[in-house]
Amino acid sequence: MMIIFMNSSDSEEEACNERTSLISADSPPAASYQDGLQAPEAAETQTYRKRRTGGSCSPSDADGGNSDSGIPVREIAVDDKEEELTLKYGAKHVIMLFVPVTLCMVVVVATIKSVRFYTEKNGQLIYTPFSEDTPSVGQRLLNSVLNTIIMISVIIVMTVFLVVLYKYRCYKFIHGWLILSSLMLLFLFTYIYLGEVLKTYNVAMDYLTLFFVIWNFGAVGMICIHWKGPLHLQQAYLIMISALMALVFIKYLPEWSAWVILGAISIYDLIAVLCPRGPLRMLVETAQERNEPIFPALIYSSAMVWTVGMAKQDAASRSLTQQTWDSAEDVREIHDNSAYVESEISEARSPAPTHPTTSLLEDLEEEERGVKLGLGDFIFYSVLVGKAAATASGDWNTTLACFVAILIGLCLTLLLLAVFKKALPALPISITFGLVFYFSTDNLVRPFMDTLASHQFYI
Amino acid sequence: MNLERVPNEEKLNLCRKYYLGGFALLPFLWLVNVLWFCREAFLAPAYTEQPQIKSYVQRSAVGLLFWVVVLTTWVTIFQMHRARWGELGDYLSFTIPLGIP
Repeated sequence: MMIIFMNSSDSEEEACNERTSLISADSPPAASYQDGLQAPEAAETQTYRKRRTGGSCSPSDADGGNSDSGIPVREIAVDDKEEELTLKYGAKHVIMLFVPVTLCMVVVVATIKSVRFYTEKNGQLIYTPFSEDTPSVGQRLLNSVLNTIIMISVIIVMTVFLVVLYKYRCYKFIHGWLILSSLMLLFLFTYIYLGEVLKTYNVAMDYLTLFFVIWNFGAVGMICIHWKGPLHLQQAYLIMISALMALVFIKYLPEWSAWVILGAISIYDLIAVLCPRGPLRMLVETAQERNEPIFPALIYSSAMVWTVGMAKQDAASRSLTQQTWDSAEDVREIHDNSAYVESEISEARSPAPTHPTTSLLEDLEEEERGVKLGLGDFIFYSVLVGKAAATASGDWNTTLACFVAILIGLCLTLLLLAVFKKALPALPISITFGLVFYFSTDNLVRPFMDTLASHQFYI
Repeated sequence: MNLERVPNEEKLNLCRKYYLGGFALLPFLWLVNVLWFCREAFLAPAYTEQPQIKSYVQRSAVGLLFWVVVLTTWVTIFQMHRARWGELGDYLSFTIPLGIP
């Protein structure tokens, strides 16, 4: 996942497979900062979600002009002003990302806590073939590590496949793939989700109304995400889709495998985005060379920068992400509902091409600072918090601790983004903090609090 | 997408597409159309395409109202008489509540 600052906003599209990437795009005089980090999307069910967060520094344009004066004092003042603006925008972007990430996590945790279905063990994805029902701890650990290796390999394969497709300009294929992926997500998973929620609340529902509701929800979702729609509706759909994906992961990943996978994905994200030969980085660079936006479908954008020239490119990027998704559909799970979640996962990590700043700069008439975060990041954050809510013995303590940890990690990542001004992986810091907080809270803080409470000792 | 930066022809085109799309049993699309273009149609200063946008928004609102009435009626009938319909009720039901009503 990468965080990218983008000057121009791509229409966000959910990229199931794109890895989280935080992208910041600075329009100012400096070279385009946009480095799309595309973290391979979780091979898990979804196509690669790219998270790009882009923050554009708009003031740079004005400052650039000023700095041409050549007067040292003025330049210093301009630099200070730029830095101040950068930091200010960085802070604003943090806030702009808090809301969607929080919303996604709230939806996931609320569902986990109320609907029994997502915490029941009902088969595994084909990507995690090793069962964890073994008596010995060592065997269980080994199985979870093997599961992780398989999952990460699938993700790598999917990402590389996506990069290859993108390099050879198979845009139609990618586009079709992305559309199929989001179709499945919007219709099938929503159907299952609605069914389970209705069963939980013991509400009668007839098929006519159900199909009508799902048809409306899905069709408008497809229109908003892949074509044009109101920004807030688009954001809402992306959040819902991320939440649905995260719920699928929470349900179908076995206990220990989930935690190991989270850790491994963070490391992979780091490597894929920052290493010169990493697939995500290559994807970003290719996109930059061609001056195309990174898959809009896989990115959540907090503000809309609308450029006339972006429309065509969006389709390309979108299709790319969808492809990753579709590839995942082959997975079959041993479950009544036979959700095809697994396939999505494999698709996941498609590298998110960096957003070409230069082309965007020309096309942009107005600029809104926007932060782009890949959808994969949303998904994995929610998976971590949802797993904490589902399995922690400390109940709300652990969940809240993980939630705070992830937000802190996101802040730090955005800070780094403002400093480095290139696409960064959004997963590593947050997931590390989340994992540390989860295990320490569950094993240290909770018994401590329980003992204190039972002895009526207040500190 | 931000409507402010879109040229007027584009806006009209978008509004028309949303209006036509709503005929595919998509009152939600009509709702989005109404809410999204409401300000453009009624509160923005006049421009050439505005009367057309206004008409599309009004027609979308009428269609939306129709569907709301139809759906409300059907849901009310279903929820109240489902148990009495016996086999037909079960056949139509996606989820059947458990327990004694």
